[in-house]
Amino acid sequence: MRPTLQISVFLLSSLVALGGCKIVKNADPAEAGQAEEAQTDQARMAALAREIWEPQVLPAVADLLAPLADVRAALAQDVDAAGAKYGYKPVGEASAWNFGVTGTGVIVETKMKSRAAKLQVDTVGDGKPDVTIQLGPIIRGTALRDAMSFLSFTDFRDQIEFAKLAGGLNAMAHENLMIPTEDPIGKTVSFAGIYTFKDVESRPEIVPTTLTFGAP
Amino acid sequence: MNTNRRVFVSGLAAAVTLASTSIVRAQGKGLIAIITPSHDNPFFKAEAVGAEARAQELGYETIVLVHDDDPNKQSELFDTAIARGADAIVLDNAGADATVAVVKRALDAGIPSFLIDREIKESGIAISQIVSNNYQGAQLGAEEFVTIMGEEGNYVELLGREADTNAGIRSSGYHDIIDQYPDLVMVAQQSANWSQTEAFEKMESILQANPDIKGVICGNDTMAMGAWAALEAAGRNEVIVVGFDGSNDVRDSILAGGIKATVLQPAYRQAQIAVEQADQYIQTGSTGLQEKQLMDCVLINSDNAADLETFALSS
Repeated sequence: MRPTLQISVFLLSSLVALGGCKIVKNADPAEAGQAEEAQTDQARMAALAREIWEPQVLPAVADLLAPLADVRAALAQDVDAAGAKYGYKPVGEASAWNFGVTGTGVIVETKMKSRAAKLQVDTVGDGKPDVTIQLGPIIRGTALRDAMSFLSFTDFRDQIEFAKLAGGLNAMAHENLMIPTEDPIGKTVSFAGIYTFKDVESRPEIVPTTLTFGAP
Repeated sequence: MNTNRRVFVSGLAAAVTLASTSIVRAQGKGLIAIITPSHDNPFFKAEAVGAEARAQELGYETIVLVHDDDPNKQSELFDTAIARGADAIVLDNAGADATVAVVKRALDAGIPSFLIDREIKESGIAISQIVSNNYQGAQLGAEEFVTIMGEEGNYVELLGREADTNAGIRSSGYHDIIDQYPDLVMVAQQSANWSQTEAFEKMESILQANPDIKGVICGNDTMAMGAWAALEAAGRNEVIVVGFDGSNDVRDSILAGGIKATVLQPAYRQAQIAVEQADQYIQTGSTGLQEKQLMDCVLINSDNAADLETFALSS
C-alpha cells in the first residue's frame, strides 16, 4: 500500500509541476514518505478509498449485484446458502454476510434534513417500507468495506486504520450520489448498493452506489 | 516460513519427548498456555475460563497465567511457557508495541501464539489475532446513547488506558456517531484507565466542575460502574450512563434501572475460537484462515439484558 501511495504523491506533484508550467523540484521519495507518516489515519484512508473506488470497489460491487427480491427469497430459505450464492463475508465466525442488491420502489418516508439522511422505500407494493437507503453524509456501518474480498483486516495496522477506511468508502458513496434538493417522498427510486445482513426481520440498510429518481 | 515450520516441528518433537516422561498429559495432545490480564476484571476471567474449558474438551493440558498488564511480567510468563514446552499460547496481551518481541520469541522457539481481544502492531508473527469489532460495537453504543439523550445535552466521556488500541478505537467509534449531533456537547473527556475506582474519583470531580451534565459514555463497563456509583452517591440517578463489555455487573445495573446500556463483546466464545484455531494449527500446521479476524459486538439494554451471562447471550 505504501508504494502505491508514494507513487500517487509523486504523480500529483508531477501534475502540479506540469500544470503550473514552471520548474518545481520533484518530491524526494524520502520526504514524500515523511509527509505520508505525518498524515492522519483518516486522511490516509480517505486517500486510499478514493484511489481504489473506481478501479476496484465499483467493479466488485457490480459483481455482487443481484435483484433484492431474489436475495431475500434465498435468505428466507437458508442464510448461509444465500450468502455463499450472492454475498461475501470477511473471515471470522461472527462476521455477517454482505449483499449487493438492485431494486425499485416507492419512497414512503424520508428524513432529509439529518446529517444521516435516509429514505424508507416500499419495494413490494404493500405501502409499507421494507428497505432503508442511507444518503449520508453520515453513513452507518462498514458494509462497503466488508463486501470487498480484496480488503483484508490483516493488511492494516489496526482497527482504527481499518475503521477509517470504512468511513472513507462511505464518504465516496455519498459523494457520488445525486441527491434531490426537494424532498422525494412519493417518488419512485431505483437503487443499487450494498448492505450487511442482520436477520430476515430487519430492514436492509443499503449504502447506495447508484440512485435514480422517477415520477410517482 | 519454511524455517519456522522446521523449528516448530522440532519444538513439537521436544514437547513429545517431554510428554513421554510426564504422566499428566492425559490424551497426549499437548499443553496450551493461556495468558491474560488480571482476573479481577471479570472480562479477562471469562476469557481464561472459556479458553481453558475448550482446551480441556479438545484434550489439552492447560496452564493459566496472568500478566497484570505488565509487559515485563508478560515476558517472564512467555519464558515459563517456552520452558514448559507449550504447544500453543493463547494471549490477551499487555501492550500493542511491547508484545511484538515476546510473540516473536515464542515463534522462534516453535510456539505459535493466538491473540484475543487486543491487537499487536505487527502482522505475520502471531498465527491468529481475533478481536472484537470495537468500532462497530462503539457505534452501536453511541447510537443508543444518542437516542436516550434525545439527541441533545451535555455529556462526559471516560476513556480507557491510552496504550491500549481498544481505548482509541472505541472513542473514535463513539465520536463518529455522536459528533454528528451538534446539540450534544462534550464538557469533559478524561482517562480513567479502565479502572472502577479511578472512574469514581474522576466522576466526582467532573460533577463538581460540571453539574449540568445529562450523560456519561464510558470506554468499558468497570468505568461505567465507577461513574454510576459516583453519580448515585451525588443523588444524580437521572444521568444516562452507557458502558462497553457486557459484564454481569452492568447487566444487573441495567435490570435495576441504573446504567442504561452496554455493548457485549463475546469474550467467552472468542477465547474458545482461539483455542479451536490453535488446535487446528497444531494438528495441520495451518488454521486455514487469515491472521486478523473481527468478531461483531451486540447492544445490550433493558430489552435483552436478562439473557446475558458471563459475556455470552443465550438465544
